[in-house]
Amino acid sequence: MALALATERNVSAARIEDAVKIYGTGDTEVRALDGVSVEFKTGLFTAIMGPSGSGKSTLLHTLAGLDNLDGGSVYIGDTELGSLNDRHLTELRRERVGFIFQAFNLIPTLTAEENILLPLLIAGDRPDQEWFDLVVDTVGLKDRLHHRPTELSGGQQQRVAAARALVSRPEIVFADEPSGNLDSKAGSELLEFMRRAVDEFGQTIVMVTHDPVAASYADRALFLADGKVVDHMWSPTAASVLERMKTLGA
Amino acid sequence: MIRTAIKGVFAHKLRLTLTAVAIVMGVAFVAGTFVLTDTINSRFSTLFDDVYAGVDATVRPESSSMTNQSGSFEVELARTIASVEGVDRIATGVGGVAQIIAPNGDPIGGQGPPTIGSSWVDVPALTAFRVDEGNGRAPVAAGEVAIDVSTSNANDLSIGAEVKIETAAGAETFEIVGLVSFGSEDNLAGATISVFELSEAQRLFGLEGRYSQIDVLAVDGVDPETLTARLQQALPSGIEAVTGSQQTQEQFEQFTEGLGFLNTALLAFAAVAVFVGAFIIQNTFRIVVAQRTKELALLRAVGASRRQVMAMVLTEALAVGTFASALGVLVGIGFAKLLKVGMDAMGFGMPDGPLTIALRTVVVGMMVGLTVTMFSSLLPARKASRIAPVAAMRDTPAARRSLKTRALAGTGIVLAAAAALLLGLATDNGNALMLVAFGSLTGFIGISVLAPLFARPIANLLGKPLPGIAGRLARGNTARQPRRTAATASALMIGIALVAFVSIFGASIKASVGDTLDGAFPADLSIRSSNFYAGVSPAAMDQLLNVDELDTVSEFFFGEVSVEGNRAMVVAVDPATVDAVYRPDASIPMDDVGEGVLVRSDKLEVSGWAVGQLLTIEYPSAQTIPTEIVGTFENQNFAEYLITTSTYSEHFPGQSAVMVFATLADGFDVAEGQAAAENALTDFPSIDVNTQSDEIAESEAQIDQLLGLFSALLGLAVIIAVIGIANTLALSVVERTREIGLLRAVGMGRRQVRRMVRWESIITALFGALLGVAVGVVLGWATVASLAEDGLGTFALPGVQLVVWLLVAALAGVIAAIGPARKASRMRILEAIAYE
Repeated sequence: MALALATERNVSAARIEDAVKIYGTGDTEVRALDGVSVEFKTGLFTAIMGPSGSGKSTLLHTLAGLDNLDGGSVYIGDTELGSLNDRHLTELRRERVGFIFQAFNLIPTLTAEENILLPLLIAGDRPDQEWFDLVVDTVGLKDRLHHRPTELSGGQQQRVAAARALVSRPEIVFADEPSGNLDSKAGSELLEFMRRAVDEFGQTIVMVTHDPVAASYADRALFLADGKVVDHMWSPTAASVLERMKTLGA
Repeated sequence: MIRTAIKGVFAHKLRLTLTAVAIVMGVAFVAGTFVLTDTINSRFSTLFDDVYAGVDATVRPESSSMTNQSGSFEVELARTIASVEGVDRIATGVGGVAQIIAPNGDPIGGQGPPTIGSSWVDVPALTAFRVDEGNGRAPVAAGEVAIDVSTSNANDLSIGAEVKIETAAGAETFEIVGLVSFGSEDNLAGATISVFELSEAQRLFGLEGRYSQIDVLAVDGVDPETLTARLQQALPSGIEAVTGSQQTQEQFEQFTEGLGFLNTALLAFAAVAVFVGAFIIQNTFRIVVAQRTKELALLRAVGASRRQVMAMVLTEALAVGTFASALGVLVGIGFAKLLKVGMDAMGFGMPDGPLTIALRTVVVGMMVGLTVTMFSSLLPARKASRIAPVAAMRDTPAARRSLKTRALAGTGIVLAAAAALLLGLATDNGNALMLVAFGSLTGFIGISVLAPLFARPIANLLGKPLPGIAGRLARGNTARQPRRTAATASALMIGIALVAFVSIFGASIKASVGDTLDGAFPADLSIRSSNFYAGVSPAAMDQLLNVDELDTVSEFFFGEVSVEGNRAMVVAVDPATVDAVYRPDASIPMDDVGEGVLVRSDKLEVSGWAVGQLLTIEYPSAQTIPTEIVGTFENQNFAEYLITTSTYSEHFPGQSAVMVFATLADGFDVAEGQAAAENALTDFPSIDVNTQSDEIAESEAQIDQLLGLFSALLGLAVIIAVIGIANTLALSVVERTREIGLLRAVGMGRRQVRRMVRWESIITALFGALLGVAVGVVLGWATVASLAEDGLGTFALPGVQLVVWLLVAALAGVIAAIGPARKASRMRILEAIAYE
């Protein structure tokens, strides 16, 4: 536990207030986010659930500084993202935020090790060797470090991505359907690792998923529909989430 | 399917544009060359026709077909001609070389366009020259001259001014009484024109009491052919009559002879451009097919046949090829216009008028563009047709094929190319050039086939010193698709190889010039005219013979003859003096050459002749003389036949020496000898007295000038290659959209993205340049080695120049990366990540 993130629970890692995001105009106008306000506490694992088109991905992207809002504001820690220019946003993504995408997470020309260290390599920072070893150990990739992505299985690739998301000790990790392309065994391995990152390192994770099983690894599940937060649930189980989803018409 | 193909073209404007540019440039060069030479031809043809329109027939000394050596005949002949039935009026005239000297003492012109001297013809219908209103009058007395309007304007020589004009007799001062035009033009393509009164001209050109030409105007109702036939009957042997149009045609052909060379040279560069373009087109189509694997596989999955997929890719190529070729022809016309303006600006005066756009230009331009495009897209189209329908479902492209076949095939092609090259360089007949060209062409293809084998190691090596993650990624990106990188680099390789070759060849010639002069020409001074069309005249020679500081003074004459039916140059030397200034390593003493001819040993061998055999030599005087081969000689750069001055003067009367060599008398140094010779030649301002180091410096300057010109033209191939790099990079950036999006998402800045693309570009460019320099060095070495017998003994490696070309390549890489790097850095992250 000595190497856990020096974070305090019950502090806001990220929050979004009165978020509005509109795509298209006139008849084709879609309100992807329609007045969403959510707070993500430090050291918590949150799953964002919702049917297709509910706005869950948009919520994740705007939180992560990959997309901007048409109304409202987003904070990572105390930093309001709307006021940042491209350079500062880039720095923020590099230093304070981690990402795991559904697919295509890795640079094919780099080895697993280089992929894990990518944010640090970009910043030109030296990696913290102890932390790196711990992360690599935890995801179980020690003997795979010098392989290229094409030589790794899908599960291993996603674990490399997860290790990358953690290596720079970000304040918050955003995951977009991280287990979406994996078989159930590889998927549960990844999700277990994410769970451990929260429990052992105190990592804050926000994950978008439509899979009730994946959501059951989280501390809390948020339910979105038509751009609005319609419900939330503490300590979700696959069964309770599935039940709730049915009523949302997913 | 065809509709799908056409839609494919327009759906990817970037791809279309970039592919098109390579074709456009190649075709533009071809079309531009045709338009330019056609225009020059047609403008001058019109001008000559206008100017000589009034001449119905011309009487002149009979000349063999090969050359138009000046001859002359007695004035009495004019009376005979005037009395022939059907002759209305005649115009008698003489001509020669007249070098105008600028007020500052420098000769005007003479290195390019001719310096024409002529007598004034008083019959308006029969004269080429015209004195316009307000331009003074025609020369009517000794000491008077009329010069062309352009020369007058350019040198501030106005009516009433005194001007020095140098002829074979030496320089004299004349008063400018008028300014002449050539037909409607102020000038004849940059030539200087001096017109004198007839008897004055006869004196100046050493033709007292003689004419060199008589033009005839027929009475109404007598056609030129009839008149010419009648004239011919009245003429003695050795003198002929031709129709005016034939004379005009011959004059025009002689005038435009140099144009053929220009045409060939420009077309050769066009061929290089098209060849480089072919590489780029092929590469582009290959990348495009690879990127559309899924789309094409889907078409196969829903039932399209292989043939249909292939037809689709070829149709797309046809559409691009047609569009680009048509655009290329248009750009070529603009290019010709630009060149014409440039030539005008350089003083190569061109008659005004519209550009000549022949149907042939359009047809050939379109054919070249379409052929190259279709041919280059064949392999990619075949590859496209072999995509399995299942590829539509797979995310990753099919596994790499082994490079073994490639290594074998490439090595085979390179060996065949080397064989052709060596054979070409070793042979000495007309096939040599074809073999060398074929060898070089296949060599380039072979190397480009092999290049993917080196792409990975070389990219890693070149990328090693690049710092940071951008450097690491650039290295990885360059090495990840060796075929693509190699094909892109190959296009640059060709341009760089050719410039490197030219640099090496030039440096070797320069290095050899000194050696040759030292070895073969032990003379202390060489004396020749700066005027291309003049030489050291007998009058100038007389002056030199009286210089005390000089010991031996020996003349060299050149002449064009026909040996056994083939055009050839003979050199004539004076057996009495030549040994002191020239060592041709002759097999017999010069004194024993007599009426015979010495043949260069390699020529003798190739032709299968033997010493003692008789050769049929035809002289311009139309005399055919069986001449015995009395021996052989070596060590000669400029001619294959050597005769004595006495044989020469029988057949080339009154010629000036092309070159005079001299040795110093005892007790004088080079500077004293040079000063004394210059002093003796004050009446001949256009004749230069050079020391050996002057000669070397001058030939080096000439070589540099030629090298500069070649490099500039080959630079076009480099520019096309740069477009090729930009093309590949742009397509690669599109292909790696998701990757770039990911890099940006995890915190890579725009500057770093740009740097990554730029470095990839530089590595690729340097890879191509290194291949090019390597090929250029091998080509240069082989050529120099094979020319060792022809006096090109020293192989020189211009290190600095080659390094400069590598730097140019790196810079080209930077330039090529500008667009793609910007595109990569401006990607919207979310769209990039979601990109399919």
